[in-house]
Amino acid sequence: MKKTAASAPSPAEPSPHQEHGDDNSLQPFFILHRAAPDKSDRKPSRRSVPSSPASPDKAVNSDDHDDCSGDLSREHLRMEAFQHAWSDIETAIQGVLQSIDSATFEAIHSWISESFSIIRTHVSSGFSEIAQSFPAAVDSVSRRLFTGLILTKNVELFDDLRTFEEVGRFLRSHGCHVANLSSMDFVAKNGIGGCITSLLRQFLATSVDAPDMLTLSSWYNNQVNNDTPIVLIIDDLERCCGSVLSDFILLLSEWVMKIPVILIIGVATTPDRLRSILQSEALQCLYPFKFNLGTLAERMDAVVEAILVKQSPGFFISHKVAVFMRNHFVNHGGTLSSFIRALKIACVQHFSMEPFSFVLRGLIEEEIQGSKHGALPKAIYNCASNISPCERNKMDEEAVQRLVPEIAQLRRLHFLWSIVVLCLYEAGKGDEFHVLDLLCEALDPEFYASRAPGSFTQETGHTKASSPNDCFTHQHKFTMRKNGFISQVMRKVRDLSESHLLSLLKRWERHTADIIEIHEKVKELQHMLKFENCQQVKKDSVEIAKIRGLQNKSNLGRDMKRVNDKASSFLAYLIEKYMQPIECVPSHEIVCFKNVKKLQMALVGDSRRQIQVDLLESHNILSCSCCRNDNILLSSMHDTSIMYSSCQEHGDLVNLHDWYQSFKRILLCPNSKKRHKLKQSPVSKKRKIVDDSEKLSEVVIQSRFCRGVAELQITGLLRMQSKRRPDFVQRVAFGL
Amino acid sequence: MGEDEVLSVTRRTTRSSSATAISTKNDVVERIKSTHICSPSLNDLLYGGEPIDLDVLLSNFPGRHPQIRELLQILGPSNTPMLPIFVYGGPSTGKTSIILQLFRYLNRPFVYSSCRTCYSPRILFESVLNQLSHHRKNATNGYSSVKRCEKPSDFVNFLREALVSMVNRLKENVGKSKSSKKRERSIDGHMVYLIFDKLELVRDWDKSSSILPLLFNLDSILNIPEVGLIFISSTPPDTFYSSMGYIEPVPIYFPNYSEDDLRQILVRNQAYPKLYSSFLDAVLRPFCRITRRLDELSAVFSSLFLEYCKPLNDLAVVPNEDLKRRLFSNLQPHISLFLNETFRVLSQSSSGAERTKGRELRGSKRKIGTHDESDELDFHMSTSAKYLLISAFLASRNPATLDASLFDSRGGSDSRKRRRKPSETAKGQKEAEEEELLTKGPGSFPLERLLAIFQCITSVAEDYLGEEVQVEDSLEVEGQDGPLMSDVLLQLSSLCNANFIVKGGTCPLEGSTRYRSVVTEDLALKVAKSVKFPLAKYVYRR
Repeated sequence: MKKTAASAPSPAEPSPHQEHGDDNSLQPFFILHRAAPDKSDRKPSRRSVPSSPASPDKAVNSDDHDDCSGDLSREHLRMEAFQHAWSDIETAIQGVLQSIDSATFEAIHSWISESFSIIRTHVSSGFSEIAQSFPAAVDSVSRRLFTGLILTKNVELFDDLRTFEEVGRFLRSHGCHVANLSSMDFVAKNGIGGCITSLLRQFLATSVDAPDMLTLSSWYNNQVNNDTPIVLIIDDLERCCGSVLSDFILLLSEWVMKIPVILIIGVATTPDRLRSILQSEALQCLYPFKFNLGTLAERMDAVVEAILVKQSPGFFISHKVAVFMRNHFVNHGGTLSSFIRALKIACVQHFSMEPFSFVLRGLIEEEIQGSKHGALPKAIYNCASNISPCERNKMDEEAVQRLVPEIAQLRRLHFLWSIVVLCLYEAGKGDEFHVLDLLCEALDPEFYASRAPGSFTQETGHTKASSPNDCFTHQHKFTMRKNGFISQVMRKVRDLSESHLLSLLKRWERHTADIIEIHEKVKELQHMLKFENCQQVKKDSVEIAKIRGLQNKSNLGRDMKRVNDKASSFLAYLIEKYMQPIECVPSHEIVCFKNVKKLQMALVGDSRRQIQVDLLESHNILSCSCCRNDNILLSSMHDTSIMYSSCQEHGDLVNLHDWYQSFKRILLCPNSKKRHKLKQSPVSKKRKIVDDSEKLSEVVIQSRFCRGVAELQITGLLRMQSKRRPDFVQRVAFGL
Repeated sequence: MGEDEVLSVTRRTTRSSSATAISTKNDVVERIKSTHICSPSLNDLLYGGEPIDLDVLLSNFPGRHPQIRELLQILGPSNTPMLPIFVYGGPSTGKTSIILQLFRYLNRPFVYSSCRTCYSPRILFESVLNQLSHHRKNATNGYSSVKRCEKPSDFVNFLREALVSMVNRLKENVGKSKSSKKRERSIDGHMVYLIFDKLELVRDWDKSSSILPLLFNLDSILNIPEVGLIFISSTPPDTFYSSMGYIEPVPIYFPNYSEDDLRQILVRNQAYPKLYSSFLDAVLRPFCRITRRLDELSAVFSSLFLEYCKPLNDLAVVPNEDLKRRLFSNLQPHISLFLNETFRVLSQSSSGAERTKGRELRGSKRKIGTHDESDELDFHMSTSAKYLLISAFLASRNPATLDASLFDSRGGSDSRKRRRKPSETAKGQKEAEEEELLTKGPGSFPLERLLAIFQCITSVAEDYLGEEVQVEDSLEVEGQDGPLMSDVLLQLSSLCNANFIVKGGTCPLEGSTRYRSVVTEDLALKVAKSVKFPLAKYVYRR
């Protein structure tokens, strides 16, 4: 269920109020028979969506109403800001992912056209049989099916469904006939007919009475462009029924001379799995090639780099949130979509919780316009003027004025931070080094506090006063975490070989192009490296007669070390001076999401506990007038909740008979006090039930009991009786 | 005894076909056109293409001469009724192609339907009827068949109708062709043959109990002498008949090819026969010990031959002994590789000249590192899924009674000591048990046991990891006790989807679903290594 909810975020969002308005949507499970929560704060919000937030007649209304509408309008603004920010993030993500896969797509296409031409050469060699029902007389080699195995390298398939759709779209745009088959078409129940039916449905666009390959071949031969191959994409090999898939492959191989079919199969684990799934005969028919998609780690790196480091969409996450998201991803997530979903949840929560979040809109807009300062205050004014008067009182112009430079400062600092992180990432790139890990460390405010005892301004003043080359001899004062990623990077830089160092410096140069002071220094380093090289060469030519290899080498090593050391201490200097985590910047609260607990609740959700709590305190949710009494079970309560409360008294085994008796007692002997109360209650329906309670027959009670047991079983709080002990059920959940 | 007859038949037909060969030269185009317009119907049932004569047919199928002669004998000269034939033999022994080429040579009309393509009775019936009535599915008729036919009884009726009209037309045609010599070649005689290929598949169909008897009985049911039935199957006739009281078709067995036959077949159609035969000298014998299937062999040889030719510049060269020896030593390492591995996956970049280097390339594509290829897990799994996989593996491998001793508070090392103790007699018993365990394969286990082991493992793992995990621990957010436990069921379902864990088919509500881990030990070890879990300590061995 969670997975379906995690569908890749679609461009067309549902209404913002649904996103945020009910926090129910973030819970993984709904409780049985749950009533709608408080109407008071939701209904009006829905209704007022279309009306403009600053409608004049509302402003004139009573104070009470005004407050409400102010609330609404702010909410509206926030949600708009959220949508804006999220759509930016989303497009960025899409762009990144596309660029990762595009090379593979191209490779697949060129392979397809190559194999198609091979098939065609086989066919042209002798060909009257095409229209016939019998197989062509060809040798078995040319009867093999060209099969592209796309290795998705992730046990979780979810991310790749989209990829396969995109492969299909890509190939279609290049003129191939493409059909996407999924494992649902290869189930043992439907047999081979199922996949042919789905195949024909996709190609012919009509349903065929008796689907067979002859139909497909006649369709293909009547096509105008029948000089392109038919590509069948099967997206998840592991889930397919092996025998059906084998039959299908054998069938295709019989027809491959008449219908040039090329298979593309998605493999989640290793290509060897084919061997265990398919029959050997079918395996013989395949002529497999494999293609690698970008691994999950690569995608994650690219997305994180693009979203959390490079882009400043006006939304950041704090250290703790980053760590939580990282752990969640490593331990549970396993898909990129789950990570993106977590990010989105964080984003929604941030925008809805942070009162000033609408300001971000202005931030983003300013970025788009690219103007220096003018637009930002204007945007904030615009926002502010949209706010109802009472709000305007709170947020007067001074406050806005104060906010402007702060935000500008924030952005600048973040930009510097991101440059340093990028530099670190470039240096550390390699196996087992991921941006997310680095990010977690770079965002750590404690780490920052440990290395920068003085305030930031002091620090900058100090370094400015010192000589310009200071950064290369810089002794870093901060203590690094022993196995931290940053210290790893430093070590790595120190050990880099010359050519690698040179390319690293080139990449640094590219990243730092916008900040002149850093850029200069990178250039200086480059010069230094080149200079060392020249010197080395000169020295070599002079000393070549005197000194032999070993010494020479060590000499060279020493010189190289010097530049490496300089680069490394330059990095330390950068870290110390510029890498200021967002949490250490004043007024970061506006852009930074910090609430781990909320995110955790939304992501993980302790559903079973929640169910238990809700069952035990059902009146809190139903909020009816009839069953207010604490700790007393009343017949007006919901059956399941009565039953669950009463079974709390039992141990891990619940005697069905006892349980039933107590349930019956509760239903039949309603509290007299309560009945009195009920008569006054406006809910006539409830009263009716209570009135009928005397007449409740044994049968009705039994059926209600059974339903209750079944519901508890479905929610996973109870297990059915075993054959050994037919009169006991077993409790599964204990305590909260 | 039938020799003479067969020979006479062949002589006659060869004469006629050679005569037609001359006639075709004159007006091929014209005749094709005319057949298309006047009687597209009858010729459609012929094999089509250029006719061949017997010599070509025989030379095309070396090692199959006795079978071809036998078939010819049974089919008899034109217009002789025949008994149904049952052709059988292992896969890729030339059954289908010989039958088809035989009809090409004989020039007699036939209806071919493969039970693989026609995967259900209805499609089989309709395919036969469509062919008999020259019906083509296409967009104009909505891809529908000539007649809707699902029941065997309907099929018999329709079939009789179609066959009778077909035979009548054939007879007319024969009369015509006798009067006008020009049309002589087009169709020989007025027999129609129904060929059912891949008959062994019919046994798996739901209603096979009615379809198979129907097919075998078809001859006596129809009782039209002008119809011949040919069944082709890869399994012997004993697997079909159940003494149902119909005439058993004449069995013709296609044995596996001998090594010499294989050599003749493989050398045929090669561009460089000399080189290829020297290549076969080197490889044919070892591969024949493994398989005699022509399709498997030719697939392997096609790529192996490329490897063989690699050192050569001129492929037309006639290899002498020295060259042969050199080429062989070149090839040798590849032979064993190909012998062990029938299924090879090539990566795109390795196509072309480097095609056979798939394996090496696979290694080099991976990031350069100290890891051996076999040690790495090359797909992504989340950590909890990995632990779950390990615990499922343990649950399947270890007997349930051992769980307590393996996972008690004292940990794995203690239980290892305990395992060493037992006396010799107990050892013998345990060996027997072990053997039984191996033969039984992985055991099944309930969900509760899986979860219990999972919890033990994750708690133990945190102790074991020690230093390595400290970094992660420091990154861990407080207030997250048992962070691995939360989504276990979700992970379990995704493992089931990936076919690592197989679920027993019971009602999910009953709560007694049993699982079974089907991962190999290698994979489990790889996974364990990736999370630094000491799996070997926990696997029950003797």
